[in-house]
Amino acid sequence: MIKLEHIFKWYNIGGTRSFVLKDINLEIEQGDFISIMGPSGSGKSTLLNVIGLLDEPNEGHYYFMGEDVLALKSKKRTALFQSHMGYVFQSYHLIDELTVYENIETPLIYKNLSGKERKAIVGDMLDRFGIVGKKDLFPAQLSGGQQQIVGIARALAASPKLLLADEPTGNLNSKQGEEIMALFKQLNEEGMTIIQVTHSEKNAEYGKRIINLLDGQVK
Amino acid sequence: MFSLLNIIGLSFGLAGFMFIATYVFDELSYDRFHTQADRIVRLNAHIHMGESKLDMARTSDMMGPILRDEYTEVEDFTRLYVSSGAKLIKNGDRWIKEAHLAHADSSFFRLFSYQTLHGNLHHALTEPNTVVLTRSAAERYFNSTDIVGRTLETNDAENTVYKITAVIEDMPGNSHFNYDFLFAMDNASYENWGALLSHNFTTYILLKNATDQSLLETHLEEYVHKHCLPAAKQFMDVASMEEFRTQGNLFYYDITPIKDIHLRSNLMGELQPNGSLQYVYIFSAISLFILLIACVNFVNLSTARSASRAKDVGVHKLLGSSRSGVAGQFLTESFLLSFGGIILAIVIVVLTLPLFNELSGKAFEINDLINVRSLPLIGLLTLFVGLVAGYYPAAFLSAFNPLQVIKSRSVVTSGKSFFRSSLVVFQFAISITLIVGTFIITTQLQYIQHKKIGYERENILLVSDYHVLGNQTKAFRDDILNLPGVKIGTVSGYLPVSSSSRNDNPYSKETVMSAHNSVSMQTWYVDEQYLPTFDLELTVGRNFSAARLADSTSVILNETAVKHFDFGSEKDAIGKKIHFQLGDNMKSYEVIGVVKDFNFESLRDPVTPLGFFLGNHPVEAAFKIETADLPALLAHIENSWNKFAPAYAFSYRFMDEAFDSMYRAERRMSRLSLTFAALATGIACLGLFGLAAFMAEQRRKEIGVRKVLGSSVVGIVIMLCRDFVKLVLIALLIAVPIAWWGMSEWLEDFTYRIEISWWIFALTGIISIVIALLTVSTQAVRAARANPIDSLRNE
Ligand SMILES: Nc1ncnc2c1ncn2[C@@H]1O[C@H](COP(=O)(O)OP(=O)(O)OP(=O)(O)O)[C@@H](O)[C@H]1O
Ligand SMILES: [Mg+2]
Repeated sequence: MIKLEHIFKWYNIGGTRSFVLKDINLEIEQGDFISIMGPSGSGKSTLLNVIGLLDEPNEGHYYFMGEDVLALKSKKRTALFQSHMGYVFQSYHLIDELTVYENIETPLIYKNLSGKERKAIVGDMLDRFGIVGKKDLFPAQLSGGQQQIVGIARALAASPKLLLADEPTGNLNSKQGEEIMALFKQLNEEGMTIIQVTHSEKNAEYGKRIINLLDGQVK
Repeated sequence: MFSLLNIIGLSFGLAGFMFIATYVFDELSYDRFHTQADRIVRLNAHIHMGESKLDMARTSDMMGPILRDEYTEVEDFTRLYVSSGAKLIKNGDRWIKEAHLAHADSSFFRLFSYQTLHGNLHHALTEPNTVVLTRSAAERYFNSTDIVGRTLETNDAENTVYKITAVIEDMPGNSHFNYDFLFAMDNASYENWGALLSHNFTTYILLKNATDQSLLETHLEEYVHKHCLPAAKQFMDVASMEEFRTQGNLFYYDITPIKDIHLRSNLMGELQPNGSLQYVYIFSAISLFILLIACVNFVNLSTARSASRAKDVGVHKLLGSSRSGVAGQFLTESFLLSFGGIILAIVIVVLTLPLFNELSGKAFEINDLINVRSLPLIGLLTLFVGLVAGYYPAAFLSAFNPLQVIKSRSVVTSGKSFFRSSLVVFQFAISITLIVGTFIITTQLQYIQHKKIGYERENILLVSDYHVLGNQTKAFRDDILNLPGVKIGTVSGYLPVSSSSRNDNPYSKETVMSAHNSVSMQTWYVDEQYLPTFDLELTVGRNFSAARLADSTSVILNETAVKHFDFGSEKDAIGKKIHFQLGDNMKSYEVIGVVKDFNFESLRDPVTPLGFFLGNHPVEAAFKIETADLPALLAHIENSWNKFAPAYAFSYRFMDEAFDSMYRAERRMSRLSLTFAALATGIACLGLFGLAAFMAEQRRKEIGVRKVLGSSVVGIVIMLCRDFVKLVLIALLIAVPIAWWGMSEWLEDFTYRIEISWWIFALTGIISIVIALLTVSTQAVRAARANPIDSLRNE
């Protein structure tokens, strides 16, 4: 499904190149469940962003379902990815002006689903994550953990083929974390490809494969 | 970038404010320079009889002296006589036409305050054949002001020579009259001295105390009974004032304090066109609004800028900076910016002063705007603007809970943006009102230009000062008519533009005149070529004929006159007689024709009764011309003029120009409103631009998230623009009724006027939305196209 070849990513700091990703080669099959680990600043989020095409590598090739996406026009590229991907951000990135309900609904609006379909899906999500009571609250009125759960619910609402999750359990207690992991595992078994970034060995174990990053290199 | 927008917006607003404030103060300052201004009043007469209503700033020659002799509150009086119009004054061997002159009593200088350059004003006009000149007139004729004792020759009666007895400084521009020459009253070419019911003098009264005004007004009523009524009985069928009144008539005098004349008086016989309080109000409002818009911008842009610095402020406060320290920093910045704005505003004022003078018709100089009186005000304004504009962001940001700012993802909650949104709505409401005003004024002017006024005004050349030709008027006319390109011509001073001669007289159907049956009618003496020259249409009857001797007692009426005389149909009017009482003589005229009504006054006023009489009135001549080479034709006509009247300058004008000059005030209004609408809209757009930039900045993260979740660039742009369009629509809703009401009031002045139609509002709405969208969309597109990763980078 995903094939990364010689991916380099660097920033020019004071005239010298500071590498964040160095020669990453990676193949991910449909139905995979991958955990990316590594110390802070090792490039985990950057790698996830490259895969999610929020960020472009400076060098290398990236094939998504056989297509050379870096060669695609940006419009087509976003369309391709948006129809396949759900993204859970490390710092949630909920829309402050919208309620929990509306936040979860937003990606469905962009998918041009009808109001009825949206209502059913959002209701299902609220149910599944046990946040029905919070649906009319604004993000500022939620705890960090609750916001993270809304972020996950929003990513899953559009039932993506590929879920990219950047430390999805970073702000959750261990019981909540386990529940989310169990959910991920179930979704993976149902066919969803998942790539998650985590600091927790235990959560990483839920994946079928663990990739360790150190200084932008796969170890 | 923000600071620049801020300063530019503020400085244009301030410059506009300074201009209009100067204009308004000038309008308000009229006639206040006279040291006795508080005690000087002008007398007005109001005579309403039947259909004719005369409200005039004139009295008889007798009224002033009688009031002074009989009532103790009247300390002094002075009169001006201007009805003899322009004079020709000899300069070397050329005669120059001078229009700015009057005959004045010697008491003129006891009431009014002018600076003497030479001579003694106390005795200046006591003797006949004396004249007082202003500095500029003296310099024009003598290249010197030290000319007391020298003489001026005029074309009065027997070429009167006047002795110059004093020279004064030029009369200030902010005065309701402005003369270059004041001649002795004894030389006024007036025939009805002593006639209590002839109103031809402008009379000013100096009261003993400023508080005596109401006392004088009660005495004016007494004056009518005691002096005017007996005089009226001599030739009119009235027994008492009561009877006169019960017949629906009015005859009374009142007063206008001299300081109120310019803005509050608009009577017949004003000495020059006055200003209007309505316009002063409108302009004051506009100037305040423009200042407000500029300040609002300043607030909006400052807030926008400071919001992006909220985090810094939060950190500073966490590190121990005090609340007043933070507020002080913002206020200082705001003061510096407003100071920069003032400096730039002064530069703009200096550069655009000629433009403003042309727009406003004033002659301001730089030191009228920037002087020792206005500088402290300007300083205060700087402080005020700085304070108002700096206060909001200073108070707002310094009151932040620093922790919240640092932690939070959103800095400004929607409650605060409501405040800024209302500011934008307010700005747009003002500019929409001004745009609508501009449209309506322009449409009305278009309407005036293109309305069928009932006579020909294209290609008509008017030759002025025709009377200097003496007994050669006919010869000159025939000479001109022989030129190729000249079709037809007529000699008469009575022209269908308000700047020409007028002559109002009472006529009646019956031989005994009473208040019932008298019709006050314009009496125009014309020749038999008048109707064809102006293409006036006879509905029934015939034109005058040079061959018929009897036509000297014939009259041609307009349709309105037929109606007022109640002759029935126009056909019925033919052959009827109308009568005119002149002293003991009764003159009778037979109606031989009726012309279709035409607008011989400005379209502000309705058509009034008018009668054409065959007669000689050689004041101007009108020639209908048709030529491809106008300069050559004009040169030929001038040649001919120089043959007949070598000592007099040839002066001419065109009928369409004379017509246009009746609407000078309206055209000025239209240009002013256009300018200020553009200014207000421009400043409002600057504000909108700033707000859009601010919103885009504030919603950066949201935009990023939405893009990741699948929104297209277009979707984001629409989302961002929609909010602003909403604001403009709200502004439109607020502005429409205000503009509707205001412009209806303005149009009220016109008897002939356009209907305010919905398309003006629709068009204005579309224009303002387009302007708003153009302003906002650059920001919106930029925000929408930004790479989401830049705004979503982990913090
Ligand atoms: N815009 C940027 N300019 C310069 N360096 C950057 C920029 N963005 C990220 N980096 C650097 O890239 C490196 C990798 O960042 P990344 O966010 O991928 O780390 P991470 O592994 O996700 O860390 P964490 O576990 O703390 O989230 C960091 O050293 C960071 O300093
Ligand atoms: Mg990270």
